[in-house]
Amino acid sequence: MFKKKLSLLSLSLIMVLSVFLAACGSKDSGTGAAGTSSEGAAVQSDGTVDSSKLEPVKLKMFMIGPNQKDLPLVQEEINKYLTEKINATLELSMIDWGDYSQRMQVITSSGENYDIAFTSSWAFDYLPNAAKGAFKPLNELLEQYGQGIIDVLDPRFLEGTKVNGVNYGIPANKELAQQFVWRFNKKYLDKYNLDISNVTTLEDLEPLLKTIKENEPADVTPLAVAKGFKPYMPFDFVLGDEIPIGMYIDTKDFKFVNILESPELKSALDTMRKYYKAGYVREDIATLDGIDNMKTGKWLVDREITQPYAELGWSRSAGYDIVTRPMQDPIIYTGSAAGSMMAISSYSKNPERAMMFLNLLNTDEKLRNMIQYGIEDTHYTKLDAPYIEDLPAMKDNYSMPGFALGNMYLTYLHEGEPADKWEAFDEFNSSATTAPTFGFNFDTSPVKTEVAAISNVSKEFISALYTGSVDAAVYLPKAQQKFKDAGMDRVIAEAQKQFDEWKANNQ
Amino acid sequence: MPQYPTAGHDPAPQARSKRDYNAISPFWNVIFNIIIGVFAFSCIFPFLFVIMISLTDEQTLAMEGFSLWPSQFSTAAYSYIFQTGGELLSSFSLTLLITVLGTLINLTLVTTYAYALSRRSFEFRGFFSFVAFFTMLFSGGMVPGYIVMTQFLHLQNTIWSLILPLSLSAFSIIVMRTFFQTTVPDEIIESARIDGAGEFTTFVRIVLPVSLPGIATIGLFSSLGYWNDWFNALLYYNDPQKTPPLQYLLMQIEKNMDFLTQNAQNLGSFDAAAGIPTETVRMAMVVLATLPIIMAYPFFQRYFVQGLTVGSVKG
Repeated sequence: MFKKKLSLLSLSLIMVLSVFLAACGSKDSGTGAAGTSSEGAAVQSDGTVDSSKLEPVKLKMFMIGPNQKDLPLVQEEINKYLTEKINATLELSMIDWGDYSQRMQVITSSGENYDIAFTSSWAFDYLPNAAKGAFKPLNELLEQYGQGIIDVLDPRFLEGTKVNGVNYGIPANKELAQQFVWRFNKKYLDKYNLDISNVTTLEDLEPLLKTIKENEPADVTPLAVAKGFKPYMPFDFVLGDEIPIGMYIDTKDFKFVNILESPELKSALDTMRKYYKAGYVREDIATLDGIDNMKTGKWLVDREITQPYAELGWSRSAGYDIVTRPMQDPIIYTGSAAGSMMAISSYSKNPERAMMFLNLLNTDEKLRNMIQYGIEDTHYTKLDAPYIEDLPAMKDNYSMPGFALGNMYLTYLHEGEPADKWEAFDEFNSSATTAPTFGFNFDTSPVKTEVAAISNVSKEFISALYTGSVDAAVYLPKAQQKFKDAGMDRVIAEAQKQFDEWKANNQ
Repeated sequence: MPQYPTAGHDPAPQARSKRDYNAISPFWNVIFNIIIGVFAFSCIFPFLFVIMISLTDEQTLAMEGFSLWPSQFSTAAYSYIFQTGGELLSSFSLTLLITVLGTLINLTLVTTYAYALSRRSFEFRGFFSFVAFFTMLFSGGMVPGYIVMTQFLHLQNTIWSLILPLSLSAFSIIVMRTFFQTTVPDEIIESARIDGAGEFTTFVRIVLPVSLPGIATIGLFSSLGYWNDWFNALLYYNDPQKTPPLQYLLMQIEKNMDFLTQNAQNLGSFDAAAGIPTETVRMAMVVLATLPIIMAYPFFQRYFVQGLTVGSVKG
């Protein structure tokens, strides 16, 4: 009830705002002519900045995450350092997770003046906002003031986040590819001597699940997943995995298909139905928002997205051993490249300086760690490089979402993390292949009504079907019909049309 | 007519056979009492449940789920709040301040406006009624409101941004105007004028005391509105350096949890759950946030009971 109200409210909010935005129109495109020359003169031949040639400016930045008590303290330190480096001070405002998208929409549409903001494919959505003109085009700025960024980033990051050939955001250097894994609770693997070396698909899990079901008490869930669970499908989804439209990962003809009609889905659903009937998943799975299996420890396997050495972190936070098996090879999707970015506001008065700051965040180890870990000996103590130990003050007063603050490869490591962590990330990224639609962004505005209708149908069917709660033989045809009625084919045709155009332009 | 005892002399003892025609038979009386009792219980039950959960041991909760009588009680949630919850307590006092101040301002504005509209001798009555009524049908909406508040009044992140938006409601004005018209007869005002009272004296010394039930009703609405308001805080009072109002704090926690569970896969290795209070702590927060306003209710109760039976003209 309440959620419904809230979503209605935010929907109406967004509608009002988009009208308002359209009325405003986007402001200037390209860089402001004023100040460019003097800013440009400060960049020396080796890429460093001579701050004595710069006027002092204040940069206003919005960041996602809960506010931290010690932020003013750390900000003071950051500002000392920044003044010395690029003669700028930073005013950092944190906006909490749940509020971020909504607040940034209001700030954007009211034309409030800020310089830098966090944006991504999932919060303060990058694509529609870039299309609406909320952000400055960055290509020229990158060339002039962001050489460091170009050097450190995997080129595919910038490639995949272009909108109509223009970059509007600087992606954070982190895991670029997405890879789903099965996570196993090692306790039960050892207890029953289960071998997971051959497990990849959903079907491979069956003997393991059966063992647990037969030998453990009822409160141990063999396959501990909630209603968001989706069997792995070899598709590149165009509108997220809730909407069954996609392209085969190994596609030859580059055609979007209706996944509901694919043989892969049919067999996955049959398997899930079998598991549901056998009691391998929770009975109330279709309505289960989340499952706290990590806390209780009473589970055998679940599904998660991985990154290098993720199991170490999982084991540490759970307090018991967790091992993983990949379901797929790592793949780079458009969405995963845009998982965490920084954009410069189109209203920004100092885009050049903002870019210099972003450049430092991606190249300057001291600044990067200061903004994430706070002040040495207050929030952490240094061990042998590159290791640090957190002090209690960090957890209480300064825990920042590191993945959203620029180049992760510059950050210190914690005890227990392998020294080659970031090398492994690099390897992980370069080992990944790109999805067939990588870099393609689907503009849904021509089929807005159909997409909305499809989303409603998917809310009705997808979790019930994918979790095996209902019989696919009966409900799959029903779902197919409903999706068709909602205009699925039109959406597929529109996506195909845009994709073909994009492909022709990007060959 | 039922006989009411009046001061001074007891009513004559009545014969038992005399039936009160307004009474209902004992049978139906029991039935209605049961129906209303069930309804009352269904209102109170969820809250009792919340209290029970807040007193459950966290580990027990994860293992056994919610139960009305947990196997393992613990007051850890409350001690956690009072130890680390400096923020909660300062949110609490901020909300209290806003509620008290806001309700006073609201009552002042509403009663004066409504009183003027209720007087037939007021020349621009129609126009001002229309001004109030118009806003009920058409409002500028959120974005203009936001722009006025932030770019024009520059009241962002002051407590006025939480007080002013709720300080005048057209609905209350209309309710109050009707109330004045029906309960304050013109004769009283006339007699006050003959006795030499000016407009303001008449209003403060004659009209207000007579209209206490109406004022209490509006006051309750308004204080509930201030106490439960989180949306204005979301829009205008969101400087992270400032303590948020209580309900907004709870809203934020709730919204963050939703958001983080939905977007867990985008957060990579970031352990976002670390910053979020546990289930029992959240329930304890709900209890602490709801209790005061429940406590305030009895103070208004007597006015509701008096209801609209207050008359002051000897008929």
